[in-house]
Amino acid sequence: MSIIEARGLKKVFKQAIKDPGLGGAIKHLFTQQYREKYAVEGIDLTIEEGETVAYVGPNGAGKSTTIKMLCGVLIPSGGEILVDGRVPHKQRMENAQHIGAVFGQRTQLWWDIPVRESLTLLRDIYQVPPAAFKKNLDGFTELLGMESFLHLSARKLSLGQRMRADLAAALLHDPKIVYLDEPTIGLDVAVKHRIRDFIKEMNREKGTTMMLTTHDLGDIENLCERLVIIDQGRIIYDGKLQEVKDAFARERTIHTQLSAPIVGAEELFADMPEVTVESRDGDEEKGDSIPSLSIKFDRFRCTASEIVKRVMNHGEVVDFRIDEPSIEEIITRVYEGQLDSAALSEAGKGRE
Amino acid sequence: MKVSVASFKKYITLALCSMQNTLAYRLSFILNFLASFIGLIAMYCLWQAVYTGRDQLSGFTWEQMQAYLLVTFFVNSMLSYYSESSISGKIIDGSVMMDLLRPIQFQKARLAETLGSCVLEGLLSCILIGTAAVFTLGISLPQDGVGMLQFGISMLSSIFVKFCIVYMSALLCFWTTSSFGIYWARTSITNLLSGALVPLTFFPGWLESLAMALPFQGIVNTPVRIALGMTGRAEAWQMIGVQWIWIILLWLLGRWLWSRAVRQITIHGG
Amino acid sequence: MEIRNTPRRILYLYWRLYSQQLKAMLEYSADFYIMIGAAALTQITGFLFLWVVFSRIPDIQGWGLWEVAFMYAAIYVSEGVGSLFFEGTWRMLRLVNLGELDRYLVRPVPIVLQIFCTGIGMNGIGNILIGGTIIGISLSHVQMDWNLSMVLMAILLFVSAITIRIAINLAANCSSFWIRSSGNAFPIMIHNLGEFAKYPITIFSLGLQLFISIVVPFAFVSFFPAAVLFGKEPWSWWGWFGPLVAVCAVWLSLGLLRVGLGKYESAGN
Repeated sequence: MSIIEARGLKKVFKQAIKDPGLGGAIKHLFTQQYREKYAVEGIDLTIEEGETVAYVGPNGAGKSTTIKMLCGVLIPSGGEILVDGRVPHKQRMENAQHIGAVFGQRTQLWWDIPVRESLTLLRDIYQVPPAAFKKNLDGFTELLGMESFLHLSARKLSLGQRMRADLAAALLHDPKIVYLDEPTIGLDVAVKHRIRDFIKEMNREKGTTMMLTTHDLGDIENLCERLVIIDQGRIIYDGKLQEVKDAFARERTIHTQLSAPIVGAEELFADMPEVTVESRDGDEEKGDSIPSLSIKFDRFRCTASEIVKRVMNHGEVVDFRIDEPSIEEIITRVYEGQLDSAALSEAGKGRE
Repeated sequence: MKVSVASFKKYITLALCSMQNTLAYRLSFILNFLASFIGLIAMYCLWQAVYTGRDQLSGFTWEQMQAYLLVTFFVNSMLSYYSESSISGKIIDGSVMMDLLRPIQFQKARLAETLGSCVLEGLLSCILIGTAAVFTLGISLPQDGVGMLQFGISMLSSIFVKFCIVYMSALLCFWTTSSFGIYWARTSITNLLSGALVPLTFFPGWLESLAMALPFQGIVNTPVRIALGMTGRAEAWQMIGVQWIWIILLWLLGRWLWSRAVRQITIHGG
Repeated sequence: MEIRNTPRRILYLYWRLYSQQLKAMLEYSADFYIMIGAAALTQITGFLFLWVVFSRIPDIQGWGLWEVAFMYAAIYVSEGVGSLFFEGTWRMLRLVNLGELDRYLVRPVPIVLQIFCTGIGMNGIGNILIGGTIIGISLSHVQMDWNLSMVLMAILLFVSAITIRIAINLAANCSSFWIRSSGNAFPIMIHNLGEFAKYPITIFSLGLQLFISIVVPFAFVSFFPAAVLFGKEPWSWWGWFGPLVAVCAVWLSLGLLRVGLGKYESAGN
């Protein structure tokens, strides 16, 4: 049995329909009209023990709503959930013992008391045995570098410190599953790395199942082999990160810098219609004195060496680099509706 | 001259904004109002029981007491908790800093806003009082024009007196992290010494003299006594005069307190 | 290891959550004293009002100053206990509106316990001190034969009264799940119904009497216990329903909380 199983999961919110102005408000008092808004519209999701899954999608796609239903915070409007054999909202208390959660925007810690005290409170709440508590606290303090702020109250922490403390709080009781909702939002690069390393370490060492929502594509590339993309309440892709890349990141661009402009550079690849060339002569006035050539090609149609070789036959290449589209661009395209979901799920299935 | 007209206009704008704000929160505003109406009903029934078998107490007949309760409720509902908390709220949540950046005087701006929402509060309580008055007949309000005028003026002055007191107590929030304690303390003192709980003539002599020597009586006692026709004309003008002496004194005191309070902001570290 | 929420664990957790909250509160000592002082002041002025009224008349429908003062103080003491130990109920609007219940829901601790420990109202101390004093003086002014059964009975009535009051607070604040406007005054409205229970309820119309005895049973916080202790007939008999009313009130308010949590939508939607 998988550790998380959701079938046909739905969540409907009621939105009040109000006409503008005083009249509208009075009318609403009596008529109480609502519009139904599906935040999550029939999701099937299965996560195996020990997996790290990135759950991504644009704002309002239903990511947080899904996570909150899995946590037992929200009660689903339809469908079934089984987390480690329990129905979260029905067996809330039992489920809560075995999960950890970080809601990035809001702290789980007590605002006014020192972090260390918050952690001991959580120890009592989760009944963590003293030895395990000490081991975890020491380990986390070192891995997350928390020594310097354990004595401060959450109110006084910087965002990065708070997030580290929140992570420690969520993992203190060795939960089987940890839900991370935007764990790196608004953090600087150094803290992001630290948090990613910590998540990886916990997953590797303790086999903790991790599910994280994020807007940060660095998180996805660093942490997750599996990617689930949700849009408008539906899952539009579920598969390996590498497969999305192979399917949609076929495009490469070689940027070359030349010692002298190549005359008729645009005609160099006239025999290969899918290759596009952009050439720039050095323009002294713009402070860009080096002539350059950018060539875009499909890496399954021709190789980088073919392209470079042909350029080198016509001029001297001073320097060059290859750009591949980032996962960011791919997902942005998904959000913007450029890649249709059929193509995506095709990519997800085909190459197991 | 131009400058002063322009500067007056911005306060009018503030008052109008505040009125719109009040409207935006109308449901909670009305619920708040009904919540205080419960207190009025309890008091009414209590006094009704007290007056059973009695013609008068401390110079008040039952009819006069009914009118006293209604007018007191009316006066008290002007400048409700709603307006009061909007002043202290600015200080507690720190948005007072934004006001310091604008070319307006904090005290005048808050007065303008308070007066703005008072218009609506007054309207609402007029409706409720009117309904209540239908059920309690025999209320004697001033019949003649001068009496009405005096009541109107004393009513308006009462709002100013109350504003000054509320404003100063709100400024105390610069030294605390919550406004509730100060609000409760202010309310209980004001209620007792203004005559809102019980007419001042019910007090033992020393307490009555004390109350009359303080500004609070200008909030309820003055307008209500004038409304009930319990004063002569000359005495009424005199009482209004006393209200204005207090308004000027308290306004200046408020400015002084503000200048002290602003220093507190830098201590808080912003 | 499975966690069982035994009464012992619940009490221990209440103590842990409460004492941490208290430690945090003590950092703002100015507020601490202002709250206590303000609550005491409110009660003293309230008592002064009664005293002024009763200096003009001997009794209200057979109830003397100290008997009414007892009821008055009972309302305040119950309010004080509510503020001091269960203040969190008054923070529910915030918890619901800002989605802060999320973090309570992911912890293996009963929600109601976590709500109770969300805050501490120091004003409770002022209410309990002054109210307790007034109750003490009232009892010494009224002729009563104290014996063991009387004391036990008084304790039972007291515990029931406090329980009813807390249950009313909780139920009233559950309205936050339905009325989500930022200034939801519905709980305040219910709270103010306590005004009716500060006086002998016989001064009100029958409908109102039934309302505060059955629908929002404030009368069981003050009036009926007073009737039992002072032997006011025919009301004292009703006082014995106090414990039963307390059980019902708790059951209903917890049910309301459960239904409310089903409506909970977290924040950001």
